[in-house]
Amino acid sequence: MDPKLAEVSQLFERFKAACAREDVDTCCNVLSKLKVLLTGFSSLPPLFEDTPNAIHELTLARDIYEHAVLLSVKIGDQDAFERDFFQLKPYYTDASSSRLPPSSQEYMILGLNLLRLLVQNRIAEFHTELELLSSTALENPCIKHAVELEQSFMEGAYNRVLSAKQTVPCKTYDYFMDLLAKTVRDEIAGCSEKAYGYLSVSDARQMLLFSSDNELLQYIKELLLPVLYESL
Amino acid sequence: MTQDVEMKEVPAPSNSTASSSPSTFHHLKEIASLIETGAYAREVRRIVRAVRLTMALRRKLKAQVLSAFLNFALTPGSEPHNRLASYLPKEDEHEMEVDTATSVTQTPVKHPLPELEIYCYLLVLIYLIDQKKYNEAKACSSASVARLKNLNRRTVDVLASRLYFYYSLSYELTGDLAEIRGNLLALHRIATLRHDELGQETLLNLLLRNYLHYNLYDQAEKLRSKAPRFEAHSNQQFCRYLFYLGKIRTIQLEYTDAKESLLQAARKAPVAALGFRVQCNKWAIIVRLLLGEIPERTVFMQKGMENALRPYFELTNAVRIGDLELFKSVAEKFSTTFSSDRTHNLIVRLRHNVIRTGLRNISISYSRISLADVAKKLRLDSANPVTDAESIVAKAIRDGAIDATLDRANGWMVSKETGDIYSTNEPQIAFNSRIAFCLNMHNEAVRALRFPPNSHKEKESAEKRRERQQQEQELAKHIAEEDDDEF
Repeated sequence: MDPKLAEVSQLFERFKAACAREDVDTCCNVLSKLKVLLTGFSSLPPLFEDTPNAIHELTLARDIYEHAVLLSVKIGDQDAFERDFFQLKPYYTDASSSRLPPSSQEYMILGLNLLRLLVQNRIAEFHTELELLSSTALENPCIKHAVELEQSFMEGAYNRVLSAKQTVPCKTYDYFMDLLAKTVRDEIAGCSEKAYGYLSVSDARQMLLFSSDNELLQYIKELLLPVLYESL
Repeated sequence: MTQDVEMKEVPAPSNSTASSSPSTFHHLKEIASLIETGAYAREVRRIVRAVRLTMALRRKLKAQVLSAFLNFALTPGSEPHNRLASYLPKEDEHEMEVDTATSVTQTPVKHPLPELEIYCYLLVLIYLIDQKKYNEAKACSSASVARLKNLNRRTVDVLASRLYFYYSLSYELTGDLAEIRGNLLALHRIATLRHDELGQETLLNLLLRNYLHYNLYDQAEKLRSKAPRFEAHSNQQFCRYLFYLGKIRTIQLEYTDAKESLLQAARKAPVAALGFRVQCNKWAIIVRLLLGEIPERTVFMQKGMENALRPYFELTNAVRIGDLELFKSVAEKFSTTFSSDRTHNLIVRLRHNVIRTGLRNISISYSRISLADVAKKLRLDSANPVTDAESIVAKAIRDGAIDATLDRANGWMVSKETGDIYSTNEPQIAFNSRIAFCLNMHNEAVRALRFPPNSHKEKESAEKRRERQQQEQELAKHIAEEDDDEF
């Protein structure tokens, strides 16, 4: 095998082992080394040359970037996620049509990206990305989950959003679902302020999904909501 | 094939057929001379006229006429002639001899102008596309684009932009649109460098079409925002640009801008361009629904568009009533139409509007209604409809769609009384904005009135006046006839 390819594969194995051990620092170091090595291959985007090892190199590079994306979710770095996802995208769109077999994690990562855009309230980009998906992609549970979430969010059925947290298709979605829960909570508070004449403390706690009254009062103090009027 | 058989059986009437086609041939020769004079005098107007006359002849183009014209315009045996003649189907020798005989008796053309050569390319390309020979059209158009890269004359620009259009069309009809994206971008760069504004316009539209074909809205918007903008040279290109812009804006959730662009495109389009106007109207209807307004019935009853707009009519009905079940059934019934129009994702977004309209109807009709009943009326099909309904109503109140309050203890929605609007300042403000708009339009129209340029210069000679009158008559006739869409 090509010596460069062998080196990259070895390093990748070490990276995967570090991920399994949850050793974030080693992961990050090894990842940066991998990215530098990947620039040596000319069969990757944007050049897409047809070298003899092209398919192998492309598959390897795609796996590396997929792991990078999942790592960024684990450490909660949204900028890194965005960067790695943009690097990963050409592998799904351009390369897949020609030579590569489809990746098993493709739909999960696409769903993750949609969720990220939703959490960051970039709805226009969410819909632009949605247009790029084929109808088979839209049937996939990971993506369907994100689409339905956006629908419920737009309609205002926030309880559905919060309950969707239980029905995530995969564990990696948890990080974004937590962020989404925070946004939803703010939204519910805003709506309740306008909609209800008065609201009891227990009802408010139930709607906002707090586990104790103290948490609720803390939240109110933070937001300085003027309206919620205690009536037990 | 039947033509050949006929020829062999009855050799005598070949003369008569040769004499009937010269009417088209004659026109083509006239057009060729028009192009020549235009090229020598550097007047682009004549070339534009030539192209317009060609479009009128489009139906009558046949292989014999074309090969005869090629023999006339380009010296036979020269390289361009051979290349172009290879694209035309081979006719029998007899016909060719007759035509070469007639052409020999005429004065042979000296050096073919580049304009004439490009014009021949254009003719052959139009013929091939009309005959549905898309692969040959692809090859011919690629050759012509390669030839055009070397030419840098303003008089060729008009012909070049038509060629680019057919180039893109031939690739689109064979499904290979992605291949030429790089070429189109390079051509756009070259056109910008040469200040070829018509070419820039055409190429920008072709590129936008290319990206939108593959749903690459992001890239299309990036290109459009960075490309240089200027006064539109051609009405048809401007209409197309507005349509693509409207589509991009719709996907990006900027519905007001989208509505403006789409409605303008539908209005400016020539009446003959029915398919284009139908598409514009489809998208305009959906955008208006997404904005929350219901298009009136006359929109759907426009001449020739009733059948095409039927699914959208039923959709509008469902949204107007605010019934989710009906909406779902209509969306499923016409799902193939919607997916072929690429509006499927937009229809999904409409669900939210259906619920809003339903809520608004309920809020107006009831002064107080329990949330369970609201959920039942909206026909929300979900796990716990009452809590859903509660959240949805709360959001609607916050967004200002309905005027009500919620009573959680009793589970009610209580609508507020709507006071008498005419006792407030609202009508005054609305009237003011409308009057300002009308006055604005009046001022702009007055400013746009202009006298024709150079009218203060010396009187034109009788000959020039005749020519100008002839041109004006032709233009009037063309507008009155409203023939096939130019592009």
